[in-house]
Amino acid sequence: MKKLIFFILFSSLITSLASARSTGCKEGNCDNGYGKWVYTDKTTYEGEWVATKKHGQGTETWPNGYIYKGQFKESQWNGIGILFFPDGSTYEGEWANGFMNGEGTFTWSDGKQKKGIWKNGSFQE
Amino acid sequence: MEVSKNSFKTLSEPVKQFGGLVGIIILIFLTFFVLNNIFGEGDELVAKMKIEEERIAQERKLNKLISSLPSGVLVSFDGTDNFKLSDELYEAVCKATKLIPQRAIMGANFLNFRAHEIYTINGNKIDETFVKWDDEKNKCFAGFVVSGNNVGVDETIKVSGEALSFLSTGIDTRVYFIKNF
Repeated sequence: MKKLIFFILFSSLITSLASARSTGCKEGNCDNGYGKWVYTDKTTYEGEWVATKKHGQGTETWPNGYIYKGQFKESQWNGIGILFFPDGSTYEGEWANGFMNGEGTFTWSDGKQKKGIWKNGSFQE
Repeated sequence: MEVSKNSFKTLSEPVKQFGGLVGIIILIFLTFFVLNNIFGEGDELVAKMKIEEERIAQERKLNKLISSLPSGVLVSFDGTDNFKLSDELYEAVCKATKLIPQRAIMGANFLNFRAHEIYTINGNKIDETFVKWDDEKNKCFAGFVVSGNNVGVDETIKVSGEALSFLSTGIDTRVYFIKNF
């Protein structure tokens, strides 16, 4: 019984250590400069950092296939950027507070396009 | 009455014993018949048991199939390096999938700002998730419900769309991309 408890605790420790080693700032400078950060769910951000926040140009890749390439401000998608959806659809244009805000073009995976003004992720007819 | 008593006495012992046995069997049958009418559900219960057995068999079949899938992202569309599901596998994976991870929800919320707001206000709490196979459209639909108070207004928002990719962990499968646009 003692051996089993020891084995469980030891395994938990090893798992925690392995997890801790695979997340966080993996390359470069993630405080002020250029660096790559890996989150626990395998989301990655590679780009510019200012005062430990994503700020400037960067690329955020989600494990389920969303990829945002563009400008960040205070860790949010803000400025000009392109979002690739997992099925190949894209939105290219202006972003504010993490949402499509401003002028942009949404292109479906079959090539169909919607171009115009967007507000908080919704197309303004 | 006296005559029948006398004629019973005249019967041989084995015949009496056989008669007794038949009597006991009839009594047992009658007892069970009465009890079944009072407490039993008869055909309804049998039908329920059959449905449950079929459900368990179906679940075992799906679990076997899930464990045979490669770990990683499974997609139902072309154009990626991920494992492409056949039509048959797509349906089976859809029927076996119950979970929707946070990133899939956040992705679907890109096109639904109000859902995003409530989701954020509630500390990423989801009321309900669902994954359903639509027999008519031959497609898998997934979604979630968020509810809460947003600037003094109680709101309940249902976000749903086509489930186009899944994550296979080797133990279970999860919806990975909900296309709600």
